[in-house]
Amino acid sequence: MTLSGRAAIVGIGATEFSKESGRSELQLAAEACLAAVRDAGLTPADVDGLVTFTADASSEIAVQRELGVPALRFFSRVDYGGGAACGTVAHAAMAVATGQADVVVCYRAFNERSGHRFGQANKSGGSGSSAMEFSWHLPYGFATPAAWVAMQARRYMHEYGATSEDFGRVAVAMRRHAATNPKAWFHGRPITLEEHQASRWIVDPLHLLDCCQESDGGVALVVTGVERARDLPHPPAVISAAAQGTGPDQMMMFSYYGGDIATLPAMGTVGETLWRQSGLTPADVQTAVLYDHFTPFVLIQLEELGFCGRGEAKEYVRDGGIEIDGRLPVNPHGGQLGEAYIHGMNGVAEAVRQIRGTAANQVADVANVLVTAGTGVPTSGLVLSGRG
Amino acid sequence: MHDELLALADRLAARGEQDGGPCPDAVNPAMIRNWTQALGDPRDWDDVAPPAMIQVWSMPGLVEQKGGSVAEEPLRLLDAHGYTGVVATNCEQTYDRYVKVGERLSSRMRFGGVTGPKKTAMGEGYFVTWYQSWYDEAGERVAEMLFRVLKFQPRKRTGGNVPSKGGKYPLRPAVGPDTRFFWDGVDAGELRVQKCGACGALRHPPGPMCPKCHATERGYVVAGGRGTVHSYVVHHHPPVPGRTPPFVVAVVELEEGVRIVGNVIGCPPEDVRVGMPVRLTFERMDDELTLPQWTPADTPEPEPAPAEQAPPADLEIELTPTFVIATALATRDFTPVHHDTALARAQGTRDIFVNILTTMGVVQRAALDAVPGATLETIAVRLGVPAYAGDTLRLHTDRVDGRTLRVRGAVSLGDHVTATVTFREDA
Repeated sequence: MTLSGRAAIVGIGATEFSKESGRSELQLAAEACLAAVRDAGLTPADVDGLVTFTADASSEIAVQRELGVPALRFFSRVDYGGGAACGTVAHAAMAVATGQADVVVCYRAFNERSGHRFGQANKSGGSGSSAMEFSWHLPYGFATPAAWVAMQARRYMHEYGATSEDFGRVAVAMRRHAATNPKAWFHGRPITLEEHQASRWIVDPLHLLDCCQESDGGVALVVTGVERARDLPHPPAVISAAAQGTGPDQMMMFSYYGGDIATLPAMGTVGETLWRQSGLTPADVQTAVLYDHFTPFVLIQLEELGFCGRGEAKEYVRDGGIEIDGRLPVNPHGGQLGEAYIHGMNGVAEAVRQIRGTAANQVADVANVLVTAGTGVPTSGLVLSGRG
Repeated sequence: MHDELLALADRLAARGEQDGGPCPDAVNPAMIRNWTQALGDPRDWDDVAPPAMIQVWSMPGLVEQKGGSVAEEPLRLLDAHGYTGVVATNCEQTYDRYVKVGERLSSRMRFGGVTGPKKTAMGEGYFVTWYQSWYDEAGERVAEMLFRVLKFQPRKRTGGNVPSKGGKYPLRPAVGPDTRFFWDGVDAGELRVQKCGACGALRHPPGPMCPKCHATERGYVVAGGRGTVHSYVVHHHPPVPGRTPPFVVAVVELEEGVRIVGNVIGCPPEDVRVGMPVRLTFERMDDELTLPQWTPADTPEPEPAPAEQAPPADLEIELTPTFVIATALATRDFTPVHHDTALARAQGTRDIFVNILTTMGVVQRAALDAVPGATLETIAVRLGVPAYAGDTLRLHTDRVDGRTLRVRGAVSLGDHVTATVTFREDA
């Protein structure tokens, strides 16, 4: 018995994506959850499970109170920053498949631009084992996600001859997609590779345009069993596979000590589970939503997930390979570089729209979509399918 | 600019003394008491004023200063040519006699001179010197002061890894039972790599259980300090507290086979390459924290630094905000960096800091602790790092000979003041 085909995403909801929401994170969470529940053709009284990120500021019971949900039978949180995104759906699907809950809402909402900005320098690493992990890095001024990713990107460039322009092609593709997505922050604002190259250094080898935006907003997803899903208004996005994963000697974003740092072994673990659980191969997906907080890790994910061989992603992304009309359209909504940075949850919602056939940049004949969560951290992934 | 500056300096020096007018108040017990209380000076001065108060009498107070300093023109010229930094370096006071309560003083200023350009730790600069003298009602001089500043071109950073000076380095490691040996090693000048007590596997970062054999007994080896850059980044943005970008962070692969993260210092960021051989060095971030760092392997080993022996303190002054502010105001110095924390920080300093008039007073206090009955003739002060609120000023006094003392005052950042004081023992 596996989780494959047991549960589906039946509702998606979101607030607007902005740089200053002007309201509390709890309000964003409640608005997104309510929108998702209504999208599913349900009411808050139907909800009996809530899952969010460990990093989320709004507790499950706070959201329960705002929605007026009578009782929860299942609540859990998933850790490791944006690595949690698909993990929330995995937890919800497991709860639904095992009968622990019937309707589970997964949510993530924050004021990441107008409130606490993740891209600013970290000054401490929390407590316990996490504080110890950060203590090998922060004292050296090695204090931002861009810097932590750049360390692996440099080695990747060294190993495989990838260039900043190869990273830039990812940014150009995402901004092209966002330009035709009315919900995207960068709607109507595509960029050229020259603009990418001319943008200022953030952490060499990363330019400004290699880095995702900072956003305020919330996204929620409703998960229920496939049988109940058939009675609901939208075509269900069936969860063909859901996985979490880490790699050897895993750290939060500093997995530099054990093996090959030009790779993302945690994503390799996730990919291996996704293909095995779904019975699918990379050739079976028509579009992929790959976590794009920083461009280099989109390339490495293509390799970890088996879309191309080690070191071959630079060729894969050339000539518009991941653009909407390319061999694998990646992030048709514009990703976190183009649409909004909602810690990967807006990407899951896009995958659902691609299955439903309602996306702004709809890919033709979508049967299966691969979605991934935060990279460089313990992560997660999903394969969503239109069958069922 | 150089010739223009020297010509200007000659012209100004030739003008001689300029009248600074009468001091606002007669020498009076209220200001003396205010000053001794603020400085914590235990002495009873009776009918004379403490000598180090001399400049206080001519301070204008909380009003717009009338007219410029005699050094205003050369300072402006230097500013206009990129010598925008300024730091006071010397203050030397000579006391012809102690002034008495009730006396009405006046002051005069004269331009001293300009020397330079000189290469200094701050950058290339010129030293600008001027003098202030105080006279009694009979026109007799009672004291004179030399004041010298360095006007410098702020150095353009090339290797950029120097943490911003100005206090305790903000990025500190958390140290726990499993990692203490490492930081103890750093303090002892060693880079320690954990070694499993059972299977001998090396491991960094360390942890409590060997992932290979699961033994929990463990020791360490001292790394040879040679490695290569496995990967690196150059940080430009956003700002990181305690750091001046651009700076390099690298994953270094040690000869012993483990990797460690550190900064590559001692070369410009653009010289760093993957595969570059590096060697271990230690960078002292502040009084308590040292970090193991990396520098190109072909740079020469540094001369062993002479062991810094902190002399025992003869006088310790806790630099509370109250002390910093009360002394600034008691010396009639209303410059905001001495009393307004927010404004001081906005100007780029860590906090409010002790003003120079107070430093002179503190040196006087330390000197008279060493030779209680003496009359001070001169206090010549070389100024060092700022003495910020929250720090402790530790003063140590050495008697050089029958009429000379050396006073050294240190804060956590280093020497705040080194002074030579001459005195005579009254019969």
